[in-house]
Amino acid sequence: MKIEGSVLPVRRANVDTDQIIPARYLTRIDSGGMGEHLFEGMPDGPQLLAQHPGASIVVAGENFGCGSSREHAAWALLGRGFKAVVAPSFARIFEENAYTNALVPVVVAPAIAEALLSARHVTIDVAAQTLRADDGEPIAFTLDPLRKQFVLGGGFLQFLNAKIPAIRAWEAAR
Amino acid sequence: MPRSLFDKVWDAHVVEELPGGNALVFMDLVVAHEITTPPGAITIEKEFGDRLYAPQRIVAMIDHVAPAKDSATALQGQTVRNWAKRQGIPFHDIGDNGICHVIVPERGYIGPGMTACCGDSHTCTLGAFGAFALGIGTTAQAGAMLAGCLILQRPKVMRVEVTGTLQAGATAKDLALTVIATIGFRGGTGYVLEYTGSAIRALTMEQRMTLCNMAIEAGATTGMIAADATTAAYLAAIPNAPAYPVGLAADPDAPYAATVTIDGSAVRPVVSWGTNPGECSPIDGVVPLDAPPESLAYMDLQPGQRLTSIAVDQAFIGSCTNARISDLRAAAEIFRGRKVTVPTIVTPGSQTVRRQAEREGLHDIFQDAGALWTHSSCGPCLGMSMGVLAPGMRCVSSSNRNFPGRMGDGGRVHLAAPVVVAASAILGRIASPTELPALELVLA
Ligand code: SF4
Repeated sequence: MKIEGSVLPVRRANVDTDQIIPARYLTRIDSGGMGEHLFEGMPDGPQLLAQHPGASIVVAGENFGCGSSREHAAWALLGRGFKAVVAPSFARIFEENAYTNALVPVVVAPAIAEALLSARHVTIDVAAQTLRADDGEPIAFTLDPLRKQFVLGGGFLQFLNAKIPAIRAWEAAR
Repeated sequence: MPRSLFDKVWDAHVVEELPGGNALVFMDLVVAHEITTPPGAITIEKEFGDRLYAPQRIVAMIDHVAPAKDSATALQGQTVRNWAKRQGIPFHDIGDNGICHVIVPERGYIGPGMTACCGDSHTCTLGAFGAFALGIGTTAQAGAMLAGCLILQRPKVMRVEVTGTLQAGATAKDLALTVIATIGFRGGTGYVLEYTGSAIRALTMEQRMTLCNMAIEAGATTGMIAADATTAAYLAAIPNAPAYPVGLAADPDAPYAATVTIDGSAVRPVVSWGTNPGECSPIDGVVPLDAPPESLAYMDLQPGQRLTSIAVDQAFIGSCTNARISDLRAAAEIFRGRKVTVPTIVTPGSQTVRRQAEREGLHDIFQDAGALWTHSSCGPCLGMSMGVLAPGMRCVSSSNRNFPGRMGDGGRVHLAAPVVVAASAILGRIASPTELPALELVLA
């Protein structure tokens, strides 16, 4: 799985999920319709998106996705065509939501994230766990090996479903 | 090998170790509300024949927008309502509802040593009972409903020892904000916070819930406090409270990945000035000179400005942080015999809290003061239904998040304890209760 595209440079730390998708849009019973409201809660968010049409990789500061657990944040990013988020760190729940939705969360050193803010074109090889900006050298990153499987092949709920007999047996012996 | 409280609860719930340091962790309770549950419930209905692992170990309610504000939110409520009915899931509908993190303890769904999850980040509130309780996304919650388990990386454990005792005027909210300011807004990421020490032992259950509620605001997976006599007394008064192992606590020499010590006697009333809960300072102080410029630009504040000089447009007492009966009693003491000077909304955390407050006459105190006394819901906390701010409006709030736009696009939020919110509502600016003129003078 390769992700290629231009960057949306979010020069902010602590972009919380209220900024990614404000609560006023959490009124659906499905995961659709979020993309058009992406970053409406972030100061100058809509302008930033307008300045970078067609971007498919978010590069942001520390602690991206903190705050509310709303999976709508991942849905909004995917709905707007984003395939990966690169940041020095993620909040736990957002990172989990990203994995289960195959929105690739790429953790890089702060200096690399900073440099990527001005990259034009980025290529992410998910299977190989490498990232390349423009003509630069590939940069290795780590992914959770189990959740990487869900990114590459889906099947998070199927995986759990297949565990049910073992879970029932564990519970019976508890 | 000595173990922390977290270690013991975790170890008792690991069904299987999985690759990459992950584990299949059994969930004793799944909490479901109308905003985050429907997509997952619908996925299970469509793809897994509507089969749930254990419907009797789920509890559902309508809390965020209660009652519905429009057809879309009505459909969310109706989806959860119908799902709970056909699955036999205990359900708290409007009229009998409350914020999930308020009614789950109040109605006896949580006890020490349990695991719990909800598609809501403030599920960490339940850690006050010595449970391992965490917020998750919709898909993870669907997994827990389908298979009874979460897939989790084992978090590290940070011991947060609070020594001494809180002094008069300092509340659990001030302690919660002080913990965040101490370890940093993201300083708890990857950790469970285990709160210990004399100041913690002295807290009531409601105060412990306020403290644990804000563990997520330090980035932590959750917070936990070992059950003790205070916990036992609280649970003894709750019909149907779960049975639990007595004495479940950290071993005396348990190892911790990190330890932080806070002098509880030095905790002062604080108020936030920035755009995350770690950006707060003592209320009698100033906006720090080194405050991040982007925070101050959003909040329209200057470095060095006195916090008590900040005029507010609205006041809100409510949310899963501070809308329990003790919070309302404390606020009522400030409001009694006085008048608010800005629009003020008081929203009880559950209908049970509401009715108790009315039995005590607190609703009269709020309304005599000129505040709006509402039914229970998340209300203005998340800027989704009532009490939404206009751009530039400034609200002093007993809730837990002051992020940009949290209570409405362009709105500004100052987090504080309920007594500070009440005093600020009266003086029309951020104010400490100690600044209020004595009542005799007001009445004269
Ligand atoms: S009161 Fe606020 S923080 Fe608590 S659950 Fe409701 S929306 Fe979330």
